[in-house]
Amino acid sequence: MSGAQLLLEAHDLVKEFRLGARSVRALRGVSVSVRQGEYVGITGPSGSGKSTLLHVLGGLEAPDSGTVSLEGVGLGRLTDSALTRLRLLRMGFIFQRFHLLPVLTALENVELPMAEAGIGRAKRRERARELLEYVGLSERADHRATQLSGGEMQRVAIARALANRPALLLADEPTGELDLSTGRQILELFRLMNEDGMTIVVVTHDEHLAAEASRTIHLIDGRIDPVPSAQSPVPAR
Amino acid sequence: MIRLAAKNLSRHRLRNTLAVLGIAVAAALLLDMVMLAGGMERSFERMLLSRGYQIRLAPKGTLPFDTEATFPGAAALSARLRADPRISAAGAVLGGALFTASGDSLLPLAGLGVEPQGQGLYELDRGADLAPGDTAGIVIGGTVAAATGWRPGDTVRIVSGTDPQVARASSGRRLVVRGVVHWLYAARGQRTVGIALPVMRGLGRVAGDRASMIMVKVIRDEDVEAVATEIRRLAPGAEVNSVTTLVARFRTRLTYFRQLSLILGTISLFVGILLVTTLLTITVNERLGEIATLRAIGVSRGGIVRRVLAEGALLTLAGNAIGLLLGLATARYLDGILTSFPGLPAAISFFVPERGAVIRAAAALLVAGSIAGAWPAWRAARAPIAATLREEAT
Repeated sequence: MSGAQLLLEAHDLVKEFRLGARSVRALRGVSVSVRQGEYVGITGPSGSGKSTLLHVLGGLEAPDSGTVSLEGVGLGRLTDSALTRLRLLRMGFIFQRFHLLPVLTALENVELPMAEAGIGRAKRRERARELLEYVGLSERADHRATQLSGGEMQRVAIARALANRPALLLADEPTGELDLSTGRQILELFRLMNEDGMTIVVVTHDEHLAAEASRTIHLIDGRIDPVPSAQSPVPAR
Repeated sequence: MIRLAAKNLSRHRLRNTLAVLGIAVAAALLLDMVMLAGGMERSFERMLLSRGYQIRLAPKGTLPFDTEATFPGAAALSARLRADPRISAAGAVLGGALFTASGDSLLPLAGLGVEPQGQGLYELDRGADLAPGDTAGIVIGGTVAAATGWRPGDTVRIVSGTDPQVARASSGRRLVVRGVVHWLYAARGQRTVGIALPVMRGLGRVAGDRASMIMVKVIRDEDVEAVATEIRRLAPGAEVNSVTTLVARFRTRLTYFRQLSLILGTISLFVGILLVTTLLTITVNERLGEIATLRAIGVSRGGIVRRVLAEGALLTLAGNAIGLLLGLATARYLDGILTSFPGLPAAISFFVPERGAVIRAAAALLVAGSIAGAWPAWRAARAPIAATLREEAT
């Protein structure tokens, strides 16, 4: 993996939040590099800054200081619309609470990012069906999001994240709302995607999911735990 | 986009249906106010021109039939005007109270003495019209026919009042009903009869060649003002008004109506805006997590704005469609109440549904509805993605 091309690079990220009169430092100088095809798990206790790091890496919020670049493009130098376009075409997001549009069917939810990218109806419909088949939900394509189970919704969310063939998949607690067996199915799916060459960064409390990762970054109090990944409490795959 | 907006609105059917009904009420009120603002004026103009007579002469300082005043030299002047090649018809009219016996009492009638060769006051419904020089005939309105049972060919007795000395009807005239007519300027329910001008003068004991009004029909519309100017010179004792001037004077009298409709129309527009803004703000607040997700997966701010605006436009469109029907129904109902005012010509309408008025009201509300969506749309597009997602996760 060390020979693979560098995909994502973050340097000295600092992020602070104000909570009333008090300020909380969520990130205190975090630097991360992710190479193409890597499967990186971000772990750590609650409030350690995992989700904030994922949001900053994904361009969902700007760091107070430090830089993030994807495929050599500095996110901090992009306008809001350019950053939005980058997220649309080069990143895929998966959230704990799935966040599907409840009024749309599974198929329409998967089509959504492609429609936004300007892909024609027939082409995006065909790809959405392929993706639903990939996540094992082809028979539920025409069901509304509200008619799906939690695991099914997360699989639709994964298919949606893959819609525009992103370079990087960012997932925030993807199994957090699921029971153990459903969580394992999602975990399998992540492994499959990574085997297919997808670069994945996943924030998780789930030690099984973290164990699937090729490398784990452990955050404590806004800093990376200096214990090397190989020696981290969660073994590398 | 529109399909998605419709689907989103279908999430809260009851709430959105109530909002649409609210917008419909605002739209209906706005439409009614737009119709009221110009409707009465247009209706008045249409009524005045219903027989094509563009000029009215009335006693100096008055409007036709505004008072009981008369002016001299009327029939002579109308005869002279009829000789003018630019004029196709002219006729003097004298108004007065008439009566007919109905059992033991007298039935009051509104009498109009006309010159049949130039009358612009009625249209014949059935029977025959008065012929020039017919001093034995009478034409009656439908309400008179209904009240008395008179039919063409009947001989009837008309009197001009009661003799207080003997408490009996004063001497009158026996006349033959020639026809039943439709009076163009009569008030609703008014019992109007028409007789030859000399007969009316005799019954009303009006001395000399006096009349309440002369109506003039000019062949070419472009000659109206020139003819009116010439008549002013010929009859300095008369008030000469073209329909254009009468409408202008009427418009001045209607300023109150226009101001009232402008204020109420503006209020209804604001109510519509507030309804859409409130509803979309609630909707956006409820869906901030969803909106943040859309932004996260790459939907642009413009895309979010368009989605919210589409919902506002759909709400407004639905409200407009229902409001149009509601507005027309309300206008009809209100018109029925207002036009039953005593003394008001039945042909006058307060609310005139015209395509232009409907389009103006609908366009105003549609634009307002779109503007109303702008604030919640802007808020939705500006919502911080990560902070919103964090809040959603907790």
